[in-house]
Amino acid sequence: MTKDQRIKKRHRAEARFKLYGLVSIILALTFVGFLVFTIFSKGSDAFSKTTIKVNVSFNAEILSLPSNPSLEDIQDADYYDLALESINKLLLTSNPDDEKLLKKLFSPDFDLEIKNYLVKNPDLINQTQDINLTSSDDIDQLFKGNFPRDIPEDRRQVNDRQLEIFDELVAQDKIQKKFNNYFFTNGDSRDPELAGIGASLLGSFFSVVICLILSFPIAILASIYLEEFAPKNKITDFIEININNLAAVPSIVYGLLGLGILLGFMNFPRSTPLVAGITLALMTLPRIIIPCRASLKAVPPSIREGALAVGASKFQSVFHHVVPLSLPGTLSGTIIGLAQALGETAPLILIGMVAFVVDIPGSPIDPASSLPAQVYLWSESAERGFVEKTSATIMILLTFLIVMNFIAVYLRQKFEKKWN
Amino acid sequence: MKERKIKIKTENLEVYYGEKQALFDVNLEIHEKEVTALIGPSGCGKSTFIRCINRMNDVIDICKIKGSIEIDGKNINHKSIDVVRLREKVGMVFQKPNPFPKSIYDNIAYGPKIHGITKNKGELDNLIENSLRKAALWNEVKDRLHEPGTSLSGGQQQRLCIARAISVNPEIILMDEPCSALDPIATAKIEELIDELRETYTIIIVTHSMAQAVRVSQKTGFFHLGKLIEFGTTEKMFKNPSNNMTQDYITGRFG
Ligand SMILES: Nc1ncnc2c1ncn2[C@@H]1O[C@H](COP(=O)(O)OP(=O)(O)OP(=O)(O)O)[C@@H](O)[C@H]1O
Ligand SMILES: [Mg+2]
Repeated sequence: MTKDQRIKKRHRAEARFKLYGLVSIILALTFVGFLVFTIFSKGSDAFSKTTIKVNVSFNAEILSLPSNPSLEDIQDADYYDLALESINKLLLTSNPDDEKLLKKLFSPDFDLEIKNYLVKNPDLINQTQDINLTSSDDIDQLFKGNFPRDIPEDRRQVNDRQLEIFDELVAQDKIQKKFNNYFFTNGDSRDPELAGIGASLLGSFFSVVICLILSFPIAILASIYLEEFAPKNKITDFIEININNLAAVPSIVYGLLGLGILLGFMNFPRSTPLVAGITLALMTLPRIIIPCRASLKAVPPSIREGALAVGASKFQSVFHHVVPLSLPGTLSGTIIGLAQALGETAPLILIGMVAFVVDIPGSPIDPASSLPAQVYLWSESAERGFVEKTSATIMILLTFLIVMNFIAVYLRQKFEKKWN
Repeated sequence: MKERKIKIKTENLEVYYGEKQALFDVNLEIHEKEVTALIGPSGCGKSTFIRCINRMNDVIDICKIKGSIEIDGKNINHKSIDVVRLREKVGMVFQKPNPFPKSIYDNIAYGPKIHGITKNKGELDNLIENSLRKAALWNEVKDRLHEPGTSLSGGQQQRLCIARAISVNPEIILMDEPCSALDPIATAKIEELIDELRETYTIIIVTHSMAQAVRVSQKTGFFHLGKLIEFGTTEKMFKNPSNNMTQDYITGRFG
């Protein structure tokens, strides 16, 4: 082979390598794009709900309210009859069969919605008001265009008469798409149109905060001690190896630990963010210690020596110079560790955080769910309404993860000091 | 030249890094307000020696020291000596400039702050100006005291480190090859500076440049393989060394 041929061959090898790299990147981006597209196309519908406009007259007699009702009276009243009467006005002719069918177009909580409206606006007693009531899941899907109208009637949830009423209401412009606040404020429900991520969002929030409170200070202090103060000997080596091993332990093992010790032995309440937070903190600790130590190690020894040489004590050189300089790496490591904890499902399943939780937890010791567990729960339901909510929950979870990672990168870049 | 007071005195000083012995039986007397140059081939223990004087070797776990080092007649390795006080008294300038990644002002303010040398901001400002003036850096940085110290040129950074060392008002300044990363002009500035600082401080400087040793020092010590081969006035050492090895080294025949 001549020298020229050799050079040509080298260039060809480089070109080939670049091509392989480009193809890999395109493939990777395609997969990511596919994932994002499917999640978005399935999930975006969950952020809107369908409402039916109903004219309600808050008749104090039907509600059997006293003449000057207190807020408590308003809260305790029975709204079912009023609600039925109000929606029946949508029909032009009164017909008991139609009334039954009509009721099915609304979410089962439609009387509660009317009540809540009045509780918020107590002046409306003995007045009339148009209220947008949440429709049932079937109507919601029908209006969103996801409902197969043309299959035989006996295989449909919505019969021909109901379709007729629906079309009539659409023609009257009574059916509208509204922002689905229930998705964010409600807990779980058997009815897709009422189910929300409120309980799991708060559950995740409490868990991650507890995880942060427990793991961050412990991890920071442990890594400072190990990196700066611990004598370099066999014991330190042993601890270091074990921290690395713990970071690689499958998360479900931590779930077992939480189940056995926190729930079984210490009798902490099941399905609570407190237990989840402690379990996640155990799991996150080694995952934070490792980047913390790495960023402490990355501070050049010359900085320590510079501080010592002007008479700083070891403690001062560490806390005045090394720790502040390592902070960007430390913080971003912590945030990434927390993001992992936020997305963790397996250990939560073991400690019962996959429960069906209707009530929004008020504190970390109330039963709650968590975002990834909610995804897991809803993904088992067949209703179209839950399918879109599953994807929407994934969207919310991903948004949090992306924001957290972005903050981590930002912190690292913004505060990283350059030294020569 | 009249003999000055003895400032630093080592007796039978031996240093080990683990099993490896880095210094063998070093006996040396360094006089007050003189510049002492330490020369010798790479790895002969010059840095090890000066790091003993402010106990910088304490941070190296495997480093063990035998023999005695006295400053003003007191053994610095004695239990009663606080290493923080010792380092306040014995400043150090490193081979590579190592300013803190903070402002020029904060770089110099750090030492006085932790030792509580100044009582208020005015005093601190004065001290910083004085330190920078002594380090011949004031004119170049007086308008940008709040810019990062790391944004200065290499030579300016080294003078900043000298100013930082001066700021805590030490009696001794140790310099480990302070000019090895600098160009001839910056080197000349620092040498000039050393000459001025000699009025106030006792200075020990490690250098690989014979010319520099001749220019700045009054005494010179020659190390070889961890042993102090020869020590005496710079003049005699370079004109008429008593040891053959010294002769070979300064004439460039080995090392
Ligand atoms: N931290 C350390 N751990 C182990 N051995 C060391 C350490 N520091 C220095 N040594 C050894 O001690 C000996 C003396 O090193 P020293 O740094 O004092 O040399 P030096 O004279 O300053 O060399 P140079 O001119 O290259 O800076 C060398 O053999 C070196 O390998
Ligand atoms: Mg050296």
